[in-house]
Amino acid sequence: MNESTIMDLFINPHIIPPFVSFAFLASALLIIVAIVIRASISLVPRGVQNFVEIIMEAMQNLCMENIGHEWGAFFFPLIGTIFLYILVSNFFGLIPGFFSPTANINMTASMAIPVFIIYQLWGFRVHGLHYIKHFLGPIRGWNPLVLLFMGMMFVIELISHLARPLTLSVRLFGNMIAKHLLLIVLAMIVPLFVPMAILGLGVIVSLVQAYVFALLSVLYIAGAVQEAH
Amino acid sequence: MKKLISVLILAAVLLFMVAPAVFAADAAAAAAPSTAKMTYYALAALGCAVGIGLAALGTGIGQGHAVRGACEGVARNPGVQGKIMTVLIVGLAMIESLAIYALVVVLMLFFVNPFKI
Repeated sequence: MNESTIMDLFINPHIIPPFVSFAFLASALLIIVAIVIRASISLVPRGVQNFVEIIMEAMQNLCMENIGHEWGAFFFPLIGTIFLYILVSNFFGLIPGFFSPTANINMTASMAIPVFIIYQLWGFRVHGLHYIKHFLGPIRGWNPLVLLFMGMMFVIELISHLARPLTLSVRLFGNMIAKHLLLIVLAMIVPLFVPMAILGLGVIVSLVQAYVFALLSVLYIAGAVQEAH
Repeated sequence: MKKLISVLILAAVLLFMVAPAVFAADAAAAAAPSTAKMTYYALAALGCAVGIGLAALGTGIGQGHAVRGACEGVARNPGVQGKIMTVLIVGLAMIESLAIYALVVVLMLFFVNPFKI
């Protein structure tokens, strides 16, 4: 699908594709907002600072409640960054002339695969070799029948772990591209007024999918960091 | 000042309403298709339509169960409506992603042409 975007005026889309340039735009927007708030930070929040503090507090609560106090504060920057970045990227797709970076499988995979690597790595760092207990299922022992069951559970858990980055990236990408295509198809049938309803739906989908991505990342990290039972 | 803001918002709303009509102007140049291509796209159209329909069927049943549970919970204890709502929305998004996976497969069959025909 070749669409013209605002970025085409500044950057050649054949050299740097629009999903990359808009991803950089989203990062730049977030960094600028962060610097502006940092310059005028005050104990009693006002204006934009108030708004950002609400979002960050929600994310911090999410991390603290699910991962636990020991590691929650450590993983909070990762989760907060992912949530804000996906949220801004999703909202780009609602503006005419803008392109949503998350409507491309490369961008969503570039966030899902690091989450996968990080939670496996920290599982090993926290538990050492005992991390393999997470894969062996609820029943453990040296009975041959139980060993067979443990082997089966290991294969199943391995597949389920390997499917996580795939589903995480495809879920976000699919939702964004589905909204986009629905907009195009409806615009072909009824060009005026009706696509606005899809834009309203798009706001909800963008918000919920960003939250779901952050929530699932938190749950995966919590599952790896906590004790196996 | 208020007038200026309302005019700006009105202009933005108009832009949002007219934008699809402007952006939808891309025409596909169709070359004469070969028999293999015709067969592939005919079968793909059939399979994609049936597949996305089945995906929507399953997702509809699943979401119906979820909403029924949420309704029963709220009817018994209206005080927890906010909490149930959050969990329900997240759960619905997860169930919905199953249909979205089917949609991704359908889109790949249609637009990516995985068998290089």
